[in-house]
Amino acid sequence: MLIQAVNVTKVYKNGLTALNDINLCIDSGEFVFLTGQSGAGKSTLIRLMFREDQPTSGKILIAGRSISRLSERETVALRRNSGVVFQDFRLLEKNSVFDNVAITLKATEVPKEQIKLRVPEVLEQVGLVGREKEPVINLSGGERQRVAVARAIANKPMILYADEPTGDLDPQTSMELMKLFVEINNQQTTVIMATHDREIVNHFNKRVVTLASGRIVSDRRGGFRL
Amino acid sequence: MNRHGFSYVVPQAFSSLRINGWMTFAAIATIAISLFLCLLFWLMVINIDANAEQLESNVEIIGYIADEIPQEQYNAIQSKIAALSGVSSLTYISREEGLQRIAPRFGTVEQLLDSMGGVNPLPNSFSVKAQSPEAVSGIAGQMAALEGISEVRYGESEVEKLFAFTSALRFAGIVIMALLAVAAVFLVAMTTRISVYARKQEIMVMKWVGATNWFIRCPFLLEGIVLGLVGSLLAVGAAFFVYYKASAYVACSLSFIVMLPASALWLTVSLIAVGVGVLMGAIGSIVSLARFLNV
Repeated sequence: MLIQAVNVTKVYKNGLTALNDINLCIDSGEFVFLTGQSGAGKSTLIRLMFREDQPTSGKILIAGRSISRLSERETVALRRNSGVVFQDFRLLEKNSVFDNVAITLKATEVPKEQIKLRVPEVLEQVGLVGREKEPVINLSGGERQRVAVARAIANKPMILYADEPTGDLDPQTSMELMKLFVEINNQQTTVIMATHDREIVNHFNKRVVTLASGRIVSDRRGGFRL
Repeated sequence: MNRHGFSYVVPQAFSSLRINGWMTFAAIATIAISLFLCLLFWLMVINIDANAEQLESNVEIIGYIADEIPQEQYNAIQSKIAALSGVSSLTYISREEGLQRIAPRFGTVEQLLDSMGGVNPLPNSFSVKAQSPEAVSGIAGQMAALEGISEVRYGESEVEKLFAFTSALRFAGIVIMALLAVAAVFLVAMTTRISVYARKQEIMVMKWVGATNWFIRCPFLLEGIVLGLVGSLLAVGAAFFVYYKASAYVACSLSFIVMLPASALWLTVSLIAVGVGVLMGAIGSIVSLARFLNV
């Protein structure tokens, strides 16, 4: 078991219950869609899984280890094994494609020579060969999201989280991006994606966990459920 | 952090300083001005202390011999005074010599005697000099306790006034230095905070992808240290330039004032000033980064 959520509840300071007693197990190498309407708790669950936030009660275990109380070193190790892609890309707009991807490797103190080899490799994987020097601000939405994916996978994480990655993209671009996620998953990276895009979920025959009002209402393979 | 980490954070710090040009300039100027004023105060206090010490070491302790004591006993009293610890020199001053010593302040001996109705009121006395300023009050106390000595004077009120003045000056100096230091730390914190906000998105990304706190903190810390270092070097340069000019002026025009040579002071003062400057820079950046440090 790679990821386990045990009785996870998250209540925000304003009293809103985002997650209510969630229990979930995800195996290594799985591709899991977290679906549900806006406010169902998909993004909150992803934030708890990569430890951007903490559950109010319950615990999340990654590879059998609770991530509630981690030292700085353990948190760093957890993050280095996880990649995150956001709906709004969260790229450094004025920087080049290369710099945006390289930041993952620089932050993990990889030597410059290795960065020069690894970045073109990742850009090839996401279909952005030859765009290294281009400032991100000049790219289309789909291209930006590819840069975000490249950044997330540059240090070969075990788990890739994606929070509504196709939210701002047109259907054709979304589908191309989804194929990229499937390819990444085929290389044994566990992919957990929050989305409310029915077309996408229905198109790929993957495990679908459906959330409603902070609870899991369905957990089955294939098809969109609300 | 490994050596590759350093190869990323060092250029980052200098690039930030360049990009935030005006804030960098303002922070360096604040540190330089604050430290410059602190150094001037400090150098002034050091020199006033030196002058006060010299003044006190030159203090003459006068022990007046009681009128009823016969001349034959003077030798015995003189021996007892000479035996006191810390006595450097001892001179007997007859009442006539005493009058001659103070007369120049009032005119001539005759004029002084006339004004007192032709009677010399001064008793015979012993003049004592101490080996060190610290010994003065002890010697004076022991002399006063000796049989045959009616009164002891050593200008204690003047010395005490001088020391009260230097203490007040030192206290004022410490308060002003503390205020200036706080202002400098605040401005460094502001400068670093601007850099932090300019790179907020980058810091967030670095945290998500697994950068350590030190990797994130280091460029800003380095930035603060550079601000402190440059500011303090400018302050040291300016303060010693002023000190050098002041020494030359004092040597020519106010030769009764003793000024310690710059060569005897500069190394210690510079090292402490640079240390304080670097510390102020580091504290400023740590303060501004505090809430960004939790991964």
